[in-house]
Amino acid sequence: MPIFEWNEIKIEVDEDGFMANPEEWNERVALALASTEGVTELTPDHWKVINYLRDYYKQYGIAPMIRKLCKETGFTLKQIYDLFPSGPAKGACKVAGLAKPTGCV
Amino acid sequence: MAEKRKVRITDISNPNIYPLAEVKPTDVIELPPPYDKLENLPGFKKLSEQTRQAVDDSLDGVVAVGVPKPKTPEEEKELVEKFISGLIKLFSKENNWTFLQPLVLTMEHCAKCQTCAEQCPIFEASGYEEIYRPTYRAEILRRLYFKYVKPGSTFLKKFQVGDIELNWTLISRLVELSYRCTICRRCAQSCPIGIDNGLITHELRKLFSQELGIAAKEIHEKGTVQQLLVGSSTGMTPEVVRDNVSFIDEDLSERLGIKVETKWDVAGADYLLIHNAGEFLSWPENPAAFTILLDAAGIKWTLSSDLVGYDGVNYGVWYDDFQFSRIAQKHFEIAKKLGVKAIIMGECGHESKSMGIIAERIFGNEIKTINAMTLIEQIVFSGKIKFDPERNYFPVTLHDPCNIVRLMGIVEPQRRVLRYLAPKFREMEPHGVENYCCGGGSGFAVMSPYNFLDWRVQISGRKKFKQILDAFKDEPPGPEVPKYVCAPCSNCKGQIRDILDYFGAKDKSGIYYGGLVELVVNAMADLKEPFIDFSMM
Repeated sequence: MPIFEWNEIKIEVDEDGFMANPEEWNERVALALASTEGVTELTPDHWKVINYLRDYYKQYGIAPMIRKLCKETGFTLKQIYDLFPSGPAKGACKVAGLAKPTGCV
Repeated sequence: MAEKRKVRITDISNPNIYPLAEVKPTDVIELPPPYDKLENLPGFKKLSEQTRQAVDDSLDGVVAVGVPKPKTPEEEKELVEKFISGLIKLFSKENNWTFLQPLVLTMEHCAKCQTCAEQCPIFEASGYEEIYRPTYRAEILRRLYFKYVKPGSTFLKKFQVGDIELNWTLISRLVELSYRCTICRRCAQSCPIGIDNGLITHELRKLFSQELGIAAKEIHEKGTVQQLLVGSSTGMTPEVVRDNVSFIDEDLSERLGIKVETKWDVAGADYLLIHNAGEFLSWPENPAAFTILLDAAGIKWTLSSDLVGYDGVNYGVWYDDFQFSRIAQKHFEIAKKLGVKAIIMGECGHESKSMGIIAERIFGNEIKTINAMTLIEQIVFSGKIKFDPERNYFPVTLHDPCNIVRLMGIVEPQRRVLRYLAPKFREMEPHGVENYCCGGGSGFAVMSPYNFLDWRVQISGRKKFKQILDAFKDEPPGPEVPKYVCAPCSNCKGQIRDILDYFGAKDKSGIYYGGLVELVVNAMADLKEPFIDFSMM
């Protein structure tokens, strides 16, 4: 698998840039992954999304419904796109260290 | 345009030709403005050196499957031997009783008239790239069949079809090439003698999966394997799906001011409704609209929370008969256990094909299947529900999912519904059984590895995007008027979403997409609030 490097961070990622070993995730890794989204700073709004995704993922083992993410964080889908330009699945989930969503989603 | 090097059939075995072919942005068919500016488009993503070392990109510089390179000459030899034994199995009755007849007919009788080539959206959109020609793939298999399977004089066979060298280069490229066709089967439909080059893609993928253990990760490991293990290719367990559906029910009840209540595992229900589980996660209005409509029509229905029973997808239909059978059997066992009369298949094309066409022939004595299109039509014209078509005030066009329309012949039900409930409905050209694939068929819509997303949007989805734009050409071009592409299939919706996102078509042209049932519920006169909310799409 490809190795993704950013400053001192060096992690294994899959062919779409999702973490190969999500257990290696930490806040610096989030910042590193955010750079692939063109995001240079993680604001409290970013963290609200990331923390919700991670909590849900810990409980259920998959990413939440997009609608649920919006409702629970109070952001519209457009605001999520503003925060993570590749969108909730390809962008926010990646930064939050979740595995890539699967199936017809 | 520079003259393209003509790719010959035998070139596929030649490792010195690298890549075998290449599609450049300047080769492809033009799109209408504002999508005609090539410089505004992200080109094909360049693969990293690391990736290119690890997987084979020598077909066309695009990687869908990512076939790992054999590590030793012994491993390579073993894979080639497995391929030959698999090839022989493919042409034997005991190992391939399901598809042997059409396969042999296709091998033996193609007249190479090329009628099919003109029908292939990938071949056309790529600027007639030779390796995407429907007969290119088939001709390779034909030569291999003549050489390794068909009895007779070697000399005569070579004279009949020409020779081909079988080596790892060929096999590895042929794997990727079997993922450059969406199995839309426009080619088969156009063939004057009934040859099915779409089937060739299917049979090749089957050989690779069943005999060499090579398949696209998204449809095998993360698809059928995951579905059989945890219940859904989305990774949703029964607990998660029930939690999600109760969220959808609450959310919609709140927004619409009515009680939306999905039913689970109802003993004595007449019908088991099986959605494509992707709907719950990505398009929750779709299953919610079914709940509202079926209840309003007084139908006794239920969902199932048994493993696999809440996910109608069966990716096996694209690449592996064993995985296909395992999933199909589960669906029918669950329906039988519930004691329902029939399974209602949600808006999902390959679910319709796998359950309604293939599995029903095996298990259909006990359980029948009902397609969502025909059911929706019956409900709409039953007189049980009052509609106000003016609520669908926006322009609507209809995409025809290949499996539901071209394969099953379900053409008119959804049109009768739209002519009644969507006053600004207009057809795409061509439409009905002639319509083009969304470009995401045969699993492509769930595959975005490496640079494959670029290919499936720019090449396999190109004709579809052009059709969508053309269908709305008489409307104001900007986002001020929302335009609705009705695509009654989860897989097609995923692909259409990716096309629209890629080109920024929602912002630039106001193009939205969704299913059929959402438009029906949006027109229900008794609902106080509009069901379709563009701001949430």
